[in-house]
Amino acid sequence: MTPAIEARGIRKQFAKKRSIGELVRHPFRKSERVLALSGVDLEMQEGEILGLLGPNGAGKTTLLKIFSCLIFPDEGYARVRGIDTVRENRVKPLIGLVNSDERSFYWRLSARENLRFFARLYNVEGPRIGARIDELLERVDMLESADRPFSGYSSGMKQRVAIARALLHDPPILFMDEPTRSLDPAASLALRRFVQEQLKERDHKTILLATHNLHEAEELSDRVAILAGGRVRQVGTVDQVRRWGLEGERFALEIDLATGPVAGPFTVLSDAVEGGRRKLTVRLDDGTGFEELLRGLFDAGIRVRACDREAPDLEAAFGRILQAEQDPA
Amino acid sequence: MSRVLRLAAKLWAFIRRDFLSLVSYRLAFVLQLFGMFFSLLAFFFMTKMMDPQAEGLNGIPPFDYLLIGLAFLSYFSTALYAFAQKIRGEQMLGTLEAMLVTPTHTHFVIFASAAWDFTYGAFRILLYLGFATLVFDVRLHVVSWPALLLGVALTLLSSAGVGILSAAFILYFKRGDPINFLLSGLTTFFGSVFFPIEQLPQWVQPAAKFVPMAWSLKVVRGSLLQGQSFSELREALLILGVLTLVLLPAGLWASRIAIRRAKCEGSLVQY
Repeated sequence: MTPAIEARGIRKQFAKKRSIGELVRHPFRKSERVLALSGVDLEMQEGEILGLLGPNGAGKTTLLKIFSCLIFPDEGYARVRGIDTVRENRVKPLIGLVNSDERSFYWRLSARENLRFFARLYNVEGPRIGARIDELLERVDMLESADRPFSGYSSGMKQRVAIARALLHDPPILFMDEPTRSLDPAASLALRRFVQEQLKERDHKTILLATHNLHEAEELSDRVAILAGGRVRQVGTVDQVRRWGLEGERFALEIDLATGPVAGPFTVLSDAVEGGRRKLTVRLDDGTGFEELLRGLFDAGIRVRACDREAPDLEAAFGRILQAEQDPA
Repeated sequence: MSRVLRLAAKLWAFIRRDFLSLVSYRLAFVLQLFGMFFSLLAFFFMTKMMDPQAEGLNGIPPFDYLLIGLAFLSYFSTALYAFAQKIRGEQMLGTLEAMLVTPTHTHFVIFASAAWDFTYGAFRILLYLGFATLVFDVRLHVVSWPALLLGVALTLLSSAGVGILSAAFILYFKRGDPINFLLSGLTTFFGSVFFPIEQLPQWVQPAAKFVPMAWSLKVVRGSLLQGQSFSELREALLILGVLTLVLLPAGLWASRIAIRRAKCEGSLVQY
């Protein structure tokens, strides 16, 4: 089956900006190059939401711009439903881009006037434009404010209009670049809910979501990809990525204070007394499961008062992946 | 919807967008009209000091001569600056990227961005002519409408060619616009805008032959003020046509290169 989007070996360098002084001194010298992407491979299936995570400068926006036909890759290719993004006339009707830049609208015009203008550029047929705009404004809950100048909207409202714009031509694939970056927690929550309920569950859109917000990625994504140093370092379900770099499952145990040294099919990572209780963190040895853990503790005569499987943390996994990228040895 | 109708609808959307933006600044719009009127008034009294028998005027009253030069220079300036200014403005507004992800060709976005400026420029010419005939008693008598319309169309296209070249410079170099600087100065000086080329030393007069505005004004003044026929204007129209055939493809070619490079460099939406 043809993937919804696919990137293979994408490499992209940018010229470093030169100062005026340097331009005067060496007008014909070639600019220094900065590597943004160095062999990105990525694939998404139809209807999937993939969270693209990475530190600043990792190349997330560059990758989205390549998929959006705004930048050509130096090497490799990006395809949307099997069509190379260099063939922009065929790709653009399939995609919508939502970015966090509030400036990408005409602030003297209203939301409706802005959408009317962009609807034409998206080839929405004339007689359908009014109804389509009303439908989208209603979906993003902007119908009542649609005729006010864009400059008077809050950040959340502007972002909702940006989503409406990206949906004007009903594209099957959406690229979202930090859509909640400038939003307050309530607006951010509302937008996440909209993506989940409207775009994913109702419309079954394929969404590539570039974000810094790990919580957002965890909540919305079917899979996440970690981009660092211009490459995709890890890609998998949220749970798979969370567990990356963790050897064996971890459990937090609470045992009797009087218990002596603890041993079993596990490694003790921490052992401390807190609030009159002895608390341990253990990591299971390879091939050991939860049942073996309990049996080992029982055989050793240890009374367990509480046992919790430690949920792997995406933030910690993100840190481990970045650390591994900086220190490959 | 056919492709042509779709493009026309898109063009109209650009014009409508800029019109709505303009009328949202009502005071500026009204003040601009007053500005035009008072500049004409100043020129009206200034030209009273000029010799109506000066070489090169060919019997055209100095104010009438200057009026046409002024009206069409403003149009040429619009063409020269509109593409580059609009692209730069859209880059700075952040709206260029939003337009370029739509299924509308990049070239079309660049050309259509300036559509309102051309429309408004034509409206300004009509206003100049309206003020001139109604307030300053300038007599216009057109003998050959085809010559006039062809002259205006060629003026539009040759100016657009230069304007697109200028926009290509902005896309390519991001800053500095030597084409505008050079052409604006050369056109004002050699284009017979404010004075006939015959007033300049004879050895520099041939330079005017390469300035499209000089030929445009020859056609427009001949049509509007001297009542010249198509055959009398044929030579000027032919040269203007040749200049258009050089400038327009050159502009399109340069913009194609600039867009391609900007997409490779990733600098299309940078400013």
